[in-house]
Amino acid sequence: MAESAYSSAEDIALVRLAQKGDTDAFEELVARHRDKIFARAFSMMRNEEEAVDLSQEAWVKGWQRLAQFQGDSSFATWITRIVINLCLDELRKQKRRRTESIEELDEESGGVERQMPVVTTNPTERLERGELRQRIDQALAQMSNEHRAVLVLHEFEEMEYKEIAKAMDCSIGTVMSRLFYARRKLASLLADLKQQ
Amino acid sequence: MTEEQQLKLQAFLDGELPESDGREVAAWIARDADATALLGELKNTRNALKGFEPEVKLPESREFHWSKIKREIERTARESAVAPKASLFTWFRRALIPLGAAVALGLVAIIAIHPVPGSHHPIPMTANVMVGDANAFTYRDDTQDMTVVWLSYPTENKFAEKSSADTLPAK
Repeated sequence: MAESAYSSAEDIALVRLAQKGDTDAFEELVARHRDKIFARAFSMMRNEEEAVDLSQEAWVKGWQRLAQFQGDSSFATWITRIVINLCLDELRKQKRRRTESIEELDEESGGVERQMPVVTTNPTERLERGELRQRIDQALAQMSNEHRAVLVLHEFEEMEYKEIAKAMDCSIGTVMSRLFYARRKLASLLADLKQQ
Repeated sequence: MTEEQQLKLQAFLDGELPESDGREVAAWIARDADATALLGELKNTRNALKGFEPEVKLPESREFHWSKIKREIERTARESAVAPKASLFTWFRRALIPLGAAVALGLVAIIAIHPVPGSHHPIPMTANVMVGDANAFTYRDDTQDMTVVWLSYPTENKFAEKSSADTLPAK
């Protein structure tokens, strides 16, 4: 197939070619979705180097499991779920390596966030898109891995509670609790950033 | 407000409550100012995030990124082609261990259920069953009311010993 034909082909056509061993078709898929896959890995990890490695690993796994792709979801969704699972695995490994700190225990139980006063004003009101994006970026960087992961999966990946629970290997109750405290923490961080 | 109520409020916002519970929560929000305020905060936070995922681009060129992926794909393909696959015979040999154990336990059960009439063995009894390379040795002591079964698989033991030896540092 000519190079221009690859660039104009739909994802599903490229997937079918790649399933037959066409690496040029797979390269085109990588080129199309690489920024999204990297962005999702970066949102989860907040570390550029780790995000680059994990997104590369996701593409390799994607190639190896291509035969399993049936087209039930879009290719972009399918490969995004692969990178999310790799990020969650890496976060679990890092958590095991880390010594459990008092801060982590507090965040898991939500002790601090439960007592926080409600932020009554909208901290993002009248902000330019660029400024809002920057503040959200700053706030996400200050959150714990568990809280950020659940926010990314729910708000950016639009996954339901039960899907998140399955991906994170925890109960739906834990997901609800983490999401609640993550949102409260984010509201507080955004309010603080507005005051600065 | 209890934690359960807070989480219910959030589930209401996310559309994760059954219809009947949703109606109940909506009525509660309508009459409770604290619930209304908390719902407002959760809604603002959720709306702030919608469509605002940090915009970052992969810090590598298309060619460089693909070259790394391609190299890794080729490396793993080579490794899987070289890795020896377990043959049917290997699977059969592995099945000999549980088979040997089952035969040995069966013997013990037969002895226990059908003892020789009038005999209560003052001397411990032993039985040795070999199935292929696998060996199952049974020891029965009626006076202690005790049965012990040893299982061994020489080929694998030799392999394990060899593996351990290979990892020893060279003198």
